[in-house]
Amino acid sequence: MSSTSGNILELKNVKVVYDNVILALHDVTLNVPKGKIVALLGGNGAGKSTTLKSISTMLASERGKVTGGSISYDGNPIDKQNPSQMVNLGMVQVLEGRRCFGHLTVEENIISGAYSRKLSRGDINQELEKIYGYFIRLKERRKSQAGFTSGGEQQMIAVARAMMAKPKMLLLDEPSMGLAPQLVAEIFNIVKELNQKEGVSVLLAEQNTNVALKNSDHGYIIETGKVMLEGSAKSLLNDDKVKELYLGISKEGRKNFRDVLKEESKKKSKKKVN
Amino acid sequence: MVDQLLFFIEVVVGGLLAGTMYSLVALGFVLIFKASATFNFSQGAMVFFAVLAFVGFMQDFNVPFVLAFFLAVGLMVIVGLCTERLVLRPLMNQSEDTLLMATIGLGYVLEGLAQAMWGVEVRRLDLGIKDFPIPWIADNLKLFISAIDLTAGIVAFGMIIGLSLLFKYTKMGLGLRAVADDAGAASSIGIPLKHIMLLVWSAAGVVALVAGMMWGARAGVQFALVDLALKALPVLIIGGFSSIPGAIIGGLLIGAVEKVLEVYIGPFFGGAIEGWAPYVLAIFFLLYRPEGLFGEKIIRRV
Repeated sequence: MSSTSGNILELKNVKVVYDNVILALHDVTLNVPKGKIVALLGGNGAGKSTTLKSISTMLASERGKVTGGSISYDGNPIDKQNPSQMVNLGMVQVLEGRRCFGHLTVEENIISGAYSRKLSRGDINQELEKIYGYFIRLKERRKSQAGFTSGGEQQMIAVARAMMAKPKMLLLDEPSMGLAPQLVAEIFNIVKELNQKEGVSVLLAEQNTNVALKNSDHGYIIETGKVMLEGSAKSLLNDDKVKELYLGISKEGRKNFRDVLKEESKKKSKKKVN
Repeated sequence: MVDQLLFFIEVVVGGLLAGTMYSLVALGFVLIFKASATFNFSQGAMVFFAVLAFVGFMQDFNVPFVLAFFLAVGLMVIVGLCTERLVLRPLMNQSEDTLLMATIGLGYVLEGLAQAMWGVEVRRLDLGIKDFPIPWIADNLKLFISAIDLTAGIVAFGMIIGLSLLFKYTKMGLGLRAVADDAGAASSIGIPLKHIMLLVWSAAGVVALVAGMMWGARAGVQFALVDLALKALPVLIIGGFSSIPGAIIGGLLIGAVEKVLEVYIGPFFGGAIEGWAPYVLAIFFLLYRPEGLFGEKIIRRV
């Protein structure tokens, strides 16, 4: 497949190993169509962050390595790039846990996102104003030290900072982490707005399945480093297994995806025997 | 009584002026510590290397003062470049201990290189400034302040201001502060770590050169400069490893305290206690205030 397929990002059977021994991703295949929001769902340790880091090439700094499969972004394979080259190509990752520069002011944090672009002072101010248009809350707090802002504000700073790099594609790692539902909604609204108005494609990793699917076009569910299920966001929201396992709408106790699949295959094989 | 007070002020002022040099060298350490979270043990060797090259250019090649200075600055930038390329980049993502050991090794390499290139004898460095009291101050304020101390103080102060402005108002400075706060996040938004590393190592190199020139002018350009520069260690313990204001104030404090102790308590120990008194002070800080006076405030939301 090439970029003519309309996908900005394509992962094919990606395998990732940490420290040469720990297998973190077995087999992840996913596509992000241009201009769409795709959700990557799964519990703790499922491999969501690893998947995002393998795309942004941030893996190397954690001694991880893509050992199999292929990743292509905008029609070109990703293998030898480093994170700052990826940013220049228009791919920016918002890391898990926000990771603001605590000792810098809110505005300095956001401006630092434009580091990779050669902008004049005036251009930077213009861009800033545009960004503040989406993040009105941050404009009020522009002079505060980022370390003293609230969790929601810090998440906004992280996204605003990434937007200053003028990305074609954003990788968001758990933007809802530790935030009140109201703030989560606010942040997802901004992400949607950025997607629609700026045309940024988004791949977001989330544990908050409900909110994530409601705000995306397509979803993938991964477990233990493997894609278990994929589909349009609507179909996933209505899928019985997803409802039971990830949305907490269930008659029985908690199970994981693998168990459900096992049970299903058991039922099938029983039927065959009968 | 008045005489005694004047003498005390003299000792303190002399110590503070000498302390600005410690501040400057400590600043070199802080820069590198902030950018790469490692204590750069080769800083002392850098001081020796830089000033020996400077003197070498002047004395062996008859290069004029200003040109020799810029040649030495250029050389320190090249040293920074090589350090980034040959030492730091291959060791990227290794533990901090590994980096620490690498800087110790780098120190030996620089010491060896300097001596291989310029020889081992002590060289005289004449900056045209005398180590004598400035007559005007001596006449009017009755204080005997050495001209070279005052010059060193002014130069160091100027450089500290310059560096602070650089970090506050330039793009590179913003990048450096970002890397110092969270290197991972900085690289995720496309701040190239290697540029920042090059910046801090070059800045540390220039700082080393200036400090070496001031010290060398007084005591001769010699191997002992390596140990003198390591006096930045107690400065950093007192000031806090990651704080620029801490390095400045720590340096002044060490300068003043060591002179006062030397003059008033030194005789009881047979003199020359300024060599180790700062370390004793540092031990007290380690025991009772390990983060130093200005150690990075850890911002924690409640």
